[in-house]
Amino acid sequence: MEKSLTRDPGFWIMVSIGLALMILGPILIDMFTIMQITQYVVLSVFALSLAYIWGFGGILSFGQAAFFGLGAYTFAVSSIGMGDTTVPLLLSFAVPAAFGVALGYFMFYGKLSDVYLGVVTMVVTLIFWKLANHTAGPEYSIAGVRLGGFNGIPSIPTINIPGQPDAWLDPAQLFRFFMAVLVIVYVALRILIASDFGRISIGIRENEVRASLLGYDIRRHKVIVFAIGSGIAGLSGAMWATYQSFIDPNAFSMEMSAKALIWVMAGGVGTLLGPILGVIGLQWLTLQMGMVDFLNSLVVLGAIMMVLVLALPKGLVPTFKSLAVAGWTLWRRGRGVGGRVKKVASDD
Amino acid sequence: MTDATRDDGYRILRTRGLTMRFGGVTAVDNVDFDLRDGELRCLLGPNGAGKSTFFKCLTGQLVPSEGQVLLKEQPVTGLNTHEIVNMGVGIKTQVPNVFDGITVYENVRLSARRKHTARIARDVAEATIEKCGIRHLIRREVGQLAHGQRQLVELAMVLAASPDLILLDEPAAGMTGDERDRLAQLVLEAARTAAVIVVEHDMQFIRQIARFVTVFNRGAIFREAMIDDIMRDRAVQEIYLGKQADAAA
Amino acid sequence: MDYAIVVALEMVRAVAWLVLLAAGLAIIFGMMRVINFAHGEFLMLGGYTVVVSTGAGVNEWVAILLLAPLVVGLFGVVVERLVIRQLYGRMLDSLLATWGLSMLMIGGVTLIFGNTVQGVATPFGGVRIGTYQMPIYNFVLIFFAAAILLAVWAVLKFTRAGLIARATMQNPNMAETLGIRTTLVYMATFGIGSAVTGLAGGLLAPVTGVVPAMGASLVGQSFITVITGGAAVITGTLSSATILGTISQGTTFWAGPVYGDAALLVVALILLRILPQGITGRIFKRAL
Repeated sequence: MEKSLTRDPGFWIMVSIGLALMILGPILIDMFTIMQITQYVVLSVFALSLAYIWGFGGILSFGQAAFFGLGAYTFAVSSIGMGDTTVPLLLSFAVPAAFGVALGYFMFYGKLSDVYLGVVTMVVTLIFWKLANHTAGPEYSIAGVRLGGFNGIPSIPTINIPGQPDAWLDPAQLFRFFMAVLVIVYVALRILIASDFGRISIGIRENEVRASLLGYDIRRHKVIVFAIGSGIAGLSGAMWATYQSFIDPNAFSMEMSAKALIWVMAGGVGTLLGPILGVIGLQWLTLQMGMVDFLNSLVVLGAIMMVLVLALPKGLVPTFKSLAVAGWTLWRRGRGVGGRVKKVASDD
Repeated sequence: MTDATRDDGYRILRTRGLTMRFGGVTAVDNVDFDLRDGELRCLLGPNGAGKSTFFKCLTGQLVPSEGQVLLKEQPVTGLNTHEIVNMGVGIKTQVPNVFDGITVYENVRLSARRKHTARIARDVAEATIEKCGIRHLIRREVGQLAHGQRQLVELAMVLAASPDLILLDEPAAGMTGDERDRLAQLVLEAARTAAVIVVEHDMQFIRQIARFVTVFNRGAIFREAMIDDIMRDRAVQEIYLGKQADAAA
Repeated sequence: MDYAIVVALEMVRAVAWLVLLAAGLAIIFGMMRVINFAHGEFLMLGGYTVVVSTGAGVNEWVAILLLAPLVVGLFGVVVERLVIRQLYGRMLDSLLATWGLSMLMIGGVTLIFGNTVQGVATPFGGVRIGTYQMPIYNFVLIFFAAAILLAVWAVLKFTRAGLIARATMQNPNMAETLGIRTTLVYMATFGIGSAVTGLAGGLLAPVTGVVPAMGASLVGQSFITVITGGAAVITGTLSSATILGTISQGTTFWAGPVYGDAALLVVALILLRILPQGITGRIFKRAL
């Protein structure tokens, strides 16, 4: 834990892979695939938002989609309204983060139990979804941009170079920009987690009573963690909106929240890399399943979620890791080298 | 001895009419408790006498049903735990409250960090760990340690914040003889710079450290006297010490 | 005057509506502290039971009052055995697992029945109050909401099963040492809670129509009512349904139905900020 970030080889490997993919991706890979990967990149940012608050703050939110959708709608409305995407991108972080502060205030200063927290975050998402669906009429417009109800908002602009509203990014540039965002979010979270603030979060996750007995204000701390997660989820929502150039109330859907949970559960709570692998794995799986006629995505998601909880509560990646470590130890023992089972590193 | 020192009237801790009720049960009953700066006080009493509940009222983990807590002559009743703690209180709870998933060093450092800059916190943490005799455990995860070792870790966390008032709830539980001796030394040492209240059942340990003693019974203060007088007190023996005092003698 | 009567009746209907939506969930939460995230789909299952059985020629009232609770109750027992029991003591995991179940059920029912709204005939016609028209079925809903609460109260208060249930509710460990098989109690609780939910789903079907995803538009209200009420099944449900129902209906009158739910959530959040364990967490602590 006290190993410093700069001396962690895993961190540098991750950053190098990210940067390599960012630079070389569009050169080596065909454009269609790059556009597919872009989608994974966006969802990875979304996955990181939950991976952070759940794994490193002990806050299990069932409503990350509320912030994802809020960010998406914020971006859609403000970018259409302003004609430039730079400020809207910042707003898509700030507005959900601010809402996260407000909601977090009620939840954490009210000292709600974990179960209540889960229910409240879920209900918030449901209500956003309902509200967004009911905004079909022309009276529901913000700054002249109609919210469109269940039809959603079309023609959301592509990201442009700051200050040049007509200089839109082409797909390769968009991919690179999103990869850069992903790397930045990952690095920022790693720095945050390694900082004293992040270590206190981990302390709060481990033992709230002790954290407050040391004099830390756990309520304020949790609100900040929650708000950061909300902001990142909002940012990924904006990326989603501009990538699809369209957004509808399904951004607020329970399915979206559930996916985030599944990515993190599959990848393992308490890691940042795992959930990104979770995104890739699950999206690939849904793609495969999409070819099977008699199944639909909800059945698949529901079944995966139940299996993860009932059979693999630690998640796929950590389970695989500890199996690998156990196997490795067994193999070394067999060769007479010996050695204790090392604890699987929980921060990659 | 406390009685010999000149009294300036300042009390680091006072409670007035402190009462805590749970439904029909009165766990702490109208307690007036005074503690001088730098005093070491032992709290005795049978199980369920209300000692742990009393501690929880002092630290704001429970909001008392009635009465007042004054810390450094400031009313703190109703404040949040962290606010009270930040006024210079350190508490070791009955069941060790530690961060299980992280290392001994990180546990202690997080405590020191509350008060010090990062650089100083590092030194304070290392020094405190050394002092508590758990240097050899420094890289271990606390969740894997034995009960007595966890107690020492929690004590190190309390000491690292250099509080002015230290509350220790059964610190010797689960400790080996050596660990307990070290603990007694640590408590006596801590009492040179801070006021200390110790709740303990282990009479050998009590004899090592105790001077002035408060006996709780059924949520109320039953006796307050020097340890030798308490040990001779028949009424106290009857409510609590009876068998253990005989065994220890 | 007529308008005042209509408004008052609408308020009562709104309260009854929340009671119906929440009662089954509240029974399970009160006894087991488990929130069934598939609650909305249990309602949906009750609705589909009515659709399928009336389609097969069964009398509508038999379908609503008998078959819907029976089918959903049995389904609940199976879910308790296969899922809930495995996660005993792991609250958050049981939320996650029941959420998985919820998606599985929506997906599964969509596969079987398709994603179309199935109507159920609304029994009885309307009644005139001055110049206003009100469906008689509203009174049916109010009647059954009251009946469910009354029945739960009577069972808890006067029967041996109710005594066991109350004992388990107060202190599961103690109940266990007294020789009560808590596993059996929990299974029965989950079954009964599910049956009540099935009944509610059947009763609501004529009003809402039946569609695989109908749960999503209903559970929000169920969840808010239960967590605002707290652990006491009857007092909790009734007090929170009254407060929330009145406010949400008031908001609906004033600003339209879209904001009714949002108002509900805001009120619930404010209430929970003051009373983190729900209304019955601090007030009416000893109530049923």
